[in-house]
Amino acid sequence: MFTEEIKAFRRLGFRHVLLQALNFATVIASGLMIWKGLGIITNSESPIVVVLSGSMEPAFYRGDLLFLTNPVSEQYKTGDITVYKIPGADIPIVHRVLETHDVPPKGRKAKEAGEPASQLMLTKGDNNYVDDLELYQGLQWLERKHIVGKVRGFLPYVGYVTIAMNDFPQLKYALLGVLGLLALLQRE
Amino acid sequence: MSNLLQSIPEGRIDFAGQKLVDTISKIVLITAVVISFIAGFALQDIRVTFGLFGASTALLSLVVLPPWPMFNQHPVKWLDSKGNGKEKAS
Amino acid sequence: MHSIFSRINNVSALLSSCTMALLAAIALSTLVFNADPKGDLAIASIKVYPGTTRRYAKTKQDLAFVNFNITADLTPLFHWNTKQLFLYLEAEYINAQGVKNDVVIWDRIVRRKEDANINVAGKNKYNFRELSASFKNVPPANYSLKYNVMPYVGYLTYGEIAKTVEPVAFPRSQPRV
Repeated sequence: MFTEEIKAFRRLGFRHVLLQALNFATVIASGLMIWKGLGIITNSESPIVVVLSGSMEPAFYRGDLLFLTNPVSEQYKTGDITVYKIPGADIPIVHRVLETHDVPPKGRKAKEAGEPASQLMLTKGDNNYVDDLELYQGLQWLERKHIVGKVRGFLPYVGYVTIAMNDFPQLKYALLGVLGLLALLQRE
Repeated sequence: MSNLLQSIPEGRIDFAGQKLVDTISKIVLITAVVISFIAGFALQDIRVTFGLFGASTALLSLVVLPPWPMFNQHPVKWLDSKGNGKEKAS
Repeated sequence: MHSIFSRINNVSALLSSCTMALLAAIALSTLVFNADPKGDLAIASIKVYPGTTRRYAKTKQDLAFVNFNITADLTPLFHWNTKQLFLYLEAEYINAQGVKNDVVIWDRIVRRKEDANINVAGKNKYNFRELSASFKNVPPANYSLKYNVMPYVGYLTYGEIAKTVEPVAFPRSQPRV
């Protein structure tokens, strides 16, 4: 079955195969660059996330795409929808801020240096009856360092592809295989 | 794999057909965007927008994708093999 | 465009650019709608009782119970790209230790324009407790009603509907009858 492909490879020549590989690498590298660049602009480790749970329904459903920012100068406010990741938990959670408590820095030195207040937060999913205390894995409050970003923009359904790929891993491998083959065998 | 691909009917169309398909899909899609946006905005209903856009996309793919006879009216006329048979000696 | 596969490929590439343009246009069109409706908020009563919460089951602490009245017409916030409104009532105060507190005590999701004429006489949905466990010596708090418009496509907007004119003081804690 693969004799045809090997023949095609021979015909294209070594240089051509290298060129295709280089093209492939460029595509991957530019994707990574855009992602990391966005991360720097928004100050968020992952500026675009896919909603994985239904706890914010009817606002966000599984598969919706969220755009995040995490401005350094801004404190979070109640009503903001945040994405946070508790150390030890595998997936980030998208929930709304229910309470904030800005504790002023302790000691006169820190106060004079103008250190920002450290913020304690409590979150809750719109679709949940109780707050997120149980999700915090023993922490009493959510802090700034746990937060990935604040939801600014919203695009429905687009992220469902990634959920489908997670639920059906075969799909992922099939897609990767087909894309790779096409990239290598394309004759322009 | 290419054997496998070749066994599936490919629905080929000729060059004039390709140009026609290209023009049709550009015009239809861009007008669909403009019209569905304006209609949705005027009626203040986003479902109108996506309904119109989806319907026009479905219609477009029905017109453009299958190899209808109208895309195959200009078959390429190859020259006879006879005249090219002689090779010039250099 | 030669075979059906390349036609599918080309048309779907064009389709995705067009869809992107359409979504961007919808998101940008939201800029036209900048209604900022106002309403009335009145705090009817505040009581402070000792109580327990799930969070601190064993500590003795005060819980505040707030009764409030809200009237607001939020129909102007519903335009073609509004998926839902999230309304929330929050208390803001700075306690004796200088901690600035914002606590949401009530919220509501409004999904239809027909339900956007709000007229609520309610009490707090969520536990309202102080970080120091007591409302003794806590300065009066301001209450404000805010909204968050969530779109079908695009960015989220926030605003304030009403705010108490004067801060409302917390009463002394009284034993529950």
